[in-house]
Amino acid sequence: MSKDNNINITINDQPVSVPKGTLVVEAAKQIGIEIPVFCYHEKLGPFGCCRMCLVEVEKMPKLTTACTQTVMPDMVVKTESPKVVKAQQGVLEFTLLNHPLDCPVCDKGGECPLQDNTFKFGPGTTRMEFDRANQDKATPLSPVITIDRERCIACQRCTRYSDIIEQEQALVMLNRGFNNEVNTFNDEPYTTKYSGNVIDICPVGALTNTEFRFKARTWDLNNSATLCAHCGCNCNMTLASRTNKFMRVETRPNDLVDDGWICDKARFGYDFIESDNRIIEAISLVGGERKAVNTFDAAIQVAESLKKIADEHGPKSIGFIGSPFGTNEELYLYHKLFRLELRTNNLDHKTYSDTPGLPVDHYDFLNIETANLVLLIGSDSAEELPILDLRIKKAVTHKGVKLAILNDQKTDLDKVADLSLKYDVGLDGIALAALANSLATELGIPAVEVSSSDESLTGIAVDQMKKMSELIRTATKVCVVYNPASLTGNSIFMLKHLLGVINKIPTMECGAIPAAPFTNSVGAMDMGILPDYYPGGVSISDSDKVQKIWGDSAFLDAKGFSALEMIDKAESGELKALLVYRSNPVVDFPEGKRIEAVLKNLPLLVVHDMMKTETSALADIVLPSNGPGYDEGTTTNIGGRVQYRKRGLNTTNSPDWKIISKMINSLSEKPIEYLTSFSVTEELSKMVPGYNEISKKSIKKEGKTREKIEYINGSTPEIQKIDSSGKGLRLRIATQLFSKDKVLDASSPLAHHFLPPTLCLHESDALKLDLFNGDQAVLTANGIDVGVTVEVSDRCNPGAVVVPRVSDDQGLLRLASSGSVSWVEVRKG
Amino acid sequence: MQILFKNIDMKGLANIDIYEKQGGYQSLKKAFAKKPEEVIEIVKVSGLRGRGGAGFPAGLKWSFLAKDVFPRYLACNADESEPGTCKDRELLEKNPHLLIEGIVATCYACQIETAYIYFRGEFQHASDLMDKAIEEAHKKGYLGKNIMGSGLDLDLYTHLGAGAYICGEESALLNSLEGRRGEPRLKPPFPAVEGLYGKPTVINNVETLCAVPWIVNEGGEKYAAIGTEKSKGTKLVSVSGHVKKPGNYEIVLGMPVREIIFDLAGGIRNDNRLKAFIPGGSSVPMLTADKVDVGYDYESLQEAGSMLGSGALIVMDHTVNVVEVTLRLAYFYMHESCGKCTPCREGTRWMWQILGKIQTGEGVGAQVDKLLDICDNMSFKCFCPLGDAAVGPVASSIKCFRSDYDELIKKLEGDKVAT
Amino acid sequence: MFVFTSEEKNKIEKIVGRYPVKQSALLPLLTLVQRRDGYVSPEAMEAIGKELELSPAYVQSVMSFYTMYHAQPTGKYIILFCHNISCQLNGADELLKYTAKKLGTDVGGTTTDKKFTLHQEECLAACCGGPMMRVNDTFYENLTREKIDQILDSLP
Repeated sequence: MSKDNNINITINDQPVSVPKGTLVVEAAKQIGIEIPVFCYHEKLGPFGCCRMCLVEVEKMPKLTTACTQTVMPDMVVKTESPKVVKAQQGVLEFTLLNHPLDCPVCDKGGECPLQDNTFKFGPGTTRMEFDRANQDKATPLSPVITIDRERCIACQRCTRYSDIIEQEQALVMLNRGFNNEVNTFNDEPYTTKYSGNVIDICPVGALTNTEFRFKARTWDLNNSATLCAHCGCNCNMTLASRTNKFMRVETRPNDLVDDGWICDKARFGYDFIESDNRIIEAISLVGGERKAVNTFDAAIQVAESLKKIADEHGPKSIGFIGSPFGTNEELYLYHKLFRLELRTNNLDHKTYSDTPGLPVDHYDFLNIETANLVLLIGSDSAEELPILDLRIKKAVTHKGVKLAILNDQKTDLDKVADLSLKYDVGLDGIALAALANSLATELGIPAVEVSSSDESLTGIAVDQMKKMSELIRTATKVCVVYNPASLTGNSIFMLKHLLGVINKIPTMECGAIPAAPFTNSVGAMDMGILPDYYPGGVSISDSDKVQKIWGDSAFLDAKGFSALEMIDKAESGELKALLVYRSNPVVDFPEGKRIEAVLKNLPLLVVHDMMKTETSALADIVLPSNGPGYDEGTTTNIGGRVQYRKRGLNTTNSPDWKIISKMINSLSEKPIEYLTSFSVTEELSKMVPGYNEISKKSIKKEGKTREKIEYINGSTPEIQKIDSSGKGLRLRIATQLFSKDKVLDASSPLAHHFLPPTLCLHESDALKLDLFNGDQAVLTANGIDVGVTVEVSDRCNPGAVVVPRVSDDQGLLRLASSGSVSWVEVRKG
Repeated sequence: MQILFKNIDMKGLANIDIYEKQGGYQSLKKAFAKKPEEVIEIVKVSGLRGRGGAGFPAGLKWSFLAKDVFPRYLACNADESEPGTCKDRELLEKNPHLLIEGIVATCYACQIETAYIYFRGEFQHASDLMDKAIEEAHKKGYLGKNIMGSGLDLDLYTHLGAGAYICGEESALLNSLEGRRGEPRLKPPFPAVEGLYGKPTVINNVETLCAVPWIVNEGGEKYAAIGTEKSKGTKLVSVSGHVKKPGNYEIVLGMPVREIIFDLAGGIRNDNRLKAFIPGGSSVPMLTADKVDVGYDYESLQEAGSMLGSGALIVMDHTVNVVEVTLRLAYFYMHESCGKCTPCREGTRWMWQILGKIQTGEGVGAQVDKLLDICDNMSFKCFCPLGDAAVGPVASSIKCFRSDYDELIKKLEGDKVAT
Repeated sequence: MFVFTSEEKNKIEKIVGRYPVKQSALLPLLTLVQRRDGYVSPEAMEAIGKELELSPAYVQSVMSFYTMYHAQPTGKYIILFCHNISCQLNGADELLKYTAKKLGTDVGGTTTDKKFTLHQEECLAACCGGPMMRVNDTFYENLTREKIDQILDSLP
């Protein structure tokens, strides 16, 4: 043993020093010695069933598997001795014995460990004199995964993945001996949310991507190291194309983000890149007719029109509804356009309440594993942020981390949670206050004013809440993961108050992950797409700081309108122009029917989007947005990590940042020409507090976390008044990962996941309404009817309903109101 | 010398009153008067070796239990499935209390509070008998809380498998007991450190545990005085095959095989000529008739090129078709392979295919050499000893009776040439 | 629809109580169903999975590993006929053929009247009494054609 905890061994007479507990196969990697493997996988741990990695170790009577053998002091390992060579050839002969000669037609060819190992370590010929065993070939394991059981070498990587990583035990080994086969229960399709990862880890062509089947040879592919753009995890992936056509998506392991996995939406949900529904050219209303026009001309027209209206009617008459789906560069430039050139504070990107900054550390994915308690608030990670879900499961099952859940609905993680409490729909603020209070009293922090009768209204029993606070109190490192988009009214302030309280517990390390489901929510906040903040969390009321960064002429005025307020002001006529970027308010905002009418009457509506939407159909000017697949830029994930999303395909359409900078330049006295998206990144790294260390170089390998924004708020927040005036039941719309929308449409390979419209109704409410499981029902609100099928369950507490958002067509948000709680009437359909 | 089979054919021995009258459960008094470590020492001194097949010294295995880690478990391996072996079933069906007594004494020595007897699935009847015996033992206070005032709490349960030879391998047994597929586990860690539910576990064969009461009663030295230098005590031998009186016989270790076959088992049927015998169950190498004078003990059999194994002596006379027998055993191992590791899963099937061809006359000479090479590629390369067991009959039958193989090939190749 | 009776549920509770980890009750529960129905259906696997908090796929994975669990219905009597070495050396092959012919079914099959399922089986630990067969829970050793006739004909 040498310094620290390292152990010295030699492999093929080469010395190597590694930490105690290192496997021989990993030690060999460090000095560039390849020991062939099949069943071994770094994330799945040692298994030892394929016998490919047999090595000779001095003083050991038998050959041993390098993937299960940990290093011992002064171990002498031989990987190329005659004994080992014979063993390797023998193992490969057995492995290939009944393996079909499919290479010419097998998709795995060219990236196949079986091919590679045979070439390097295998026997030159076969001695198999019998017909190879026949099994099911090219059978659908699911609509997106094809299984060829003849090719399977029973390494059990896929079954172990289903057990250890996704923790579903959905893919298993059936039968025994030579008859063993990888399968699901009763031949049902393998449809977990992360099923596609088995394609990447299968060392042969047994599990393949059905969409990619026969499309290209792997060596013909153009691989782009990029990010997934579906949710706030920003998982790293490789997008492969050939002759500029989309081919496939694979994982691109980054332990600091995705831990080596991607969900099925990333893998199979990229068809939209080549959708016929894309906006590929600018459209402008010319003399009452919608005509295709030159994009840059349209952009200039937009900028000049907005300026004209702002000059005539004041800064409150124009507005920007941005989106958390834009990249940092695009959003940064739009901020510049609206705040600096058009001089308004009407910028927003969401329909819920939130502010930048945290009173605790901004935690990243790894902190989930190193905490001893994860507190999940209002977050359904399985449907919103799947890879976050995997990470939490990993922490709880394999790292001994405790999990506490506070939510208004049941979620998948309940089954591994130590404590799971449900507050009533709409009463999240009081629940958070109650929890904060139970911790605060011991710390001498002033409690939030809550009347005791209010507390019991949360739906959580007092002794249960005590248990929750005990769990927190006895932890030494708490990671709070919360979804701001699920909190009602101004509860976000109560949540941040709670964070502050937890942080005050002695010897407590506390951090939080703001887990809004959308791709770049953190980036949108950081880039100042807010009515009351400049980029980097600089308040518009902090004039000194604003002017220091943005110059003396920086726009300082009263707080602008939020996105929902902009709609109200548009309705009243005060707001006369809106630019909507990568957002579809008619469908995604509450009271969509009203919004449609408002936008129809708006003097100037500009939509800059990737897909044709219900909102773009109403626009006076439409600008094409490249969107993921074609766009380039950085995004900031829920852990605050900034990473570069490279394009996968080429297009002649201009990138968004060029279009937006054209708009700025047409108005600016000091126009700036950016060469690449990184040119914009460079500028924003200087102008956005927290992003100073962000550069092309610094984010290249694994991304880089930006510095956290401080949240300073001295006063204890107040409880919002509970609105109990509504008729019917409270409405909770739940996010669905595989929802039929503009990105996953009817032709998507994931269409088999689309659910029928469902209403989750509590038993006691069902009884009152005389509704039973399977009945048809109608939800009514805002003059809208939506048809659903009843599912009686205790998914939420009585007095409310959960309606999964299964498609855009449903028009579900039309039932919602822009107040803090939405109410629906439910009747038999 | 009757230690295990003492009173074995006495009517009603399975009834606790009759068992007690024969001196049953007396060893517990003796054990409880000593410290637990002292009881382990007694068994160590006795030289008792595992009777399931591995032959590892029992007392030594118990002393490997991870110190200060609790709870601990005991699993009794009643998964008797080694072809040729039927000794445990006789003990289980006729004298279940002997096993219970042995388990209680062992659990006291090893500070274990929960024990399971893992029966192979087909032993439903034996398991039902054992349930009755356990109930009787509970009523008399030999199981349960504070047994005979010793401070030992012990719960003993029966558990049935469902048809898998591989579950006789100790780590596969543990997996099966935990409600999993009966695939073996990685070792290390060994069961004594991380066994059932990840806790220190003692796993012993039925016969091993049944020897414990006598050893505790009479003392370790007395047991060690029986047998040979490295093989102490008595052994149950299941003699089967071409003998006049097949059956389970208790012998003093070291008795020459000749005596077992010709005295105890009455000699070869029809007074035929002995051709070969497998001394320790199908997994050990077969021996030719000229080895019949070898002593039946661990060291002598190993020196002769085979093993004592489970103690099943399978006798074959001159009428036997060695290739057909080997083919039948090859099928067995293929059928029982769990399928986890590649060499066993593919190798057992390939060997069966080749043997099948040779047996039906379609084999060629080169295939016999290939069989030997396949055996070499499987030996000590598989995940668990089943792979090595599969190699046993094939490699040894070719080594001992190559001419039989060649005859079959030559004869049939000759036939082909003729036509 | 597969249901556990309340009596069975009590039994299950007792079984589960024997082990510190629920999962250990998987084989005992599979055996309970196998003995009750003669086979283990997919619905049964789901029900067992619910009792023990295991996925149905996992239950099926374990069930299909062991030879005593059958995925298809079996006869009233399941005959396991040993064909391993000690029995084979004493003429088991011929007697197995005889039994199959007598019952009018293939080895591995079930008679048309659903009375007998005949399997060839590996060593059943009755080597000193070979040739032998196990019919449900009973071992019959030292078989001859006559004995086989007598045993099978007398079963109700």
